[in-house]
Amino acid sequence: MDLLHAPFDPVALAVPFFVLTIILEIALTRFKAVKAHYETKDTMASLAMGLGSSVAGLLTGGAAFAATVWVWQHRVFDIPMTALWAWVAIFFLEDLTYYWFHRLSHERRFWWAAHVNHHSSQHYNLSTALRQTWTGGLAGTWALWLPLAFLGFPPAMLAIQKGVSLVYQFWIHTEAIRRMPRWFEAVFNTPSHHRVHHARNPRYLDSNYAGILIIWDRLFGTFQPELDEERPRYGIVKNLNNFNILRVAFHEWAGIAKDLAGSRSLREVAGYLFGPPGWSPDGSRDTSATLKVQWEAEQAAKKTDIAA
Amino acid sequence: MDKGFAIQFAGSFAAVALLVALAAWAKIAKPMSPLSEARARALFADEFPGKALDGLWVTNDGRGALARSGASALVLCEVGDGYAARHIPWAQAVAASFRDGVLKLDLADVSAPRARLAFDSWPPAGAA
Repeated sequence: MDLLHAPFDPVALAVPFFVLTIILEIALTRFKAVKAHYETKDTMASLAMGLGSSVAGLLTGGAAFAATVWVWQHRVFDIPMTALWAWVAIFFLEDLTYYWFHRLSHERRFWWAAHVNHHSSQHYNLSTALRQTWTGGLAGTWALWLPLAFLGFPPAMLAIQKGVSLVYQFWIHTEAIRRMPRWFEAVFNTPSHHRVHHARNPRYLDSNYAGILIIWDRLFGTFQPELDEERPRYGIVKNLNNFNILRVAFHEWAGIAKDLAGSRSLREVAGYLFGPPGWSPDGSRDTSATLKVQWEAEQAAKKTDIAA
Repeated sequence: MDKGFAIQFAGSFAAVALLVALAAWAKIAKPMSPLSEARARALFADEFPGKALDGLWVTNDGRGALARSGASALVLCEVGDGYAARHIPWAQAVAASFRDGVLKLDLADVSAPRARLAFDSWPPAGAA
């Protein structure tokens, strides 16, 4: 068995399924059978990002693959690709790795710059799922999976499991499904949990980083259920004001460059690069944390007014 | 780039064109109507929680609004079937270029560089 090259690519195999389900979501919405919204320019931007990401992946995938192979050649254990236990183990370990990758991609600006495009649509539909990064490879987050190769999971196995995770996360980008059965909502990432993740309401910011299993958010304190009384508003804290695809792909990188050009100390350089998105030396900009504090203060004031 | 990838890319490109055309045909964007003052207030409250509005001006075409909150100008403009909002210093908004009924604001933000708002006159009387 070739332990380096995956015998199949789950994502490539799933492309026809992606296309058919988007057609289905649009058609069912058109005939008022489900609830969704598609805006033409937004859909074009999302799908073009998906198409472009496959090209960007070609440009940076080689380096990531070479690094994975090199680390695997220095592995601690020989993990067989044919053993069921190995697939169970990689399912959990890859999903745990995804959780931390995703959390890092939201909570530190350098990696947010590569991930923000996935969140910049003000829509939440199946096309949003394909609004993928062009710069993830350059941001180097693939390095987070290297410890799994070092443990001994073959590169082919890693590639398949990463693909399975990506395919799983496609179907949860929809408003057409309200809630899954309770047991499913308790264990798995679902449309409801992921709607919260894509919401820009202060209450919902920086939560539900899960890939397949929501248990990691419950375990690490980042779980936030979707509340019927607070409908998610999608997009980013500061929405883009046009659909220019280059702006979608690179705006946060350009913002970082502009801030770095005006930096006056190493502390400012570090803050602009690796602080939370919205960090500024004088605290004049909003981060998720400050937005949550403002929102909580507003809620407290409203309660006081009602009590009075 | 190998032949397999080129075929896959061409197929995906065709699929994207089909899906975009389908989305345009379906006309299922969020319904948009010109902003009313009440709707603009609600949107500003979502975008800038806790900020009191000292004045509010909705554009002639109902596609945007500008509000004063202390020393800040809060700007709201339509994008697709949604909105983008930013704030800039009030003095900058007052001094911005106004020609042929269009106020052009430099928002100094890479992700939303400029806003164009249609007003009869600018600045509003007594607001400077």
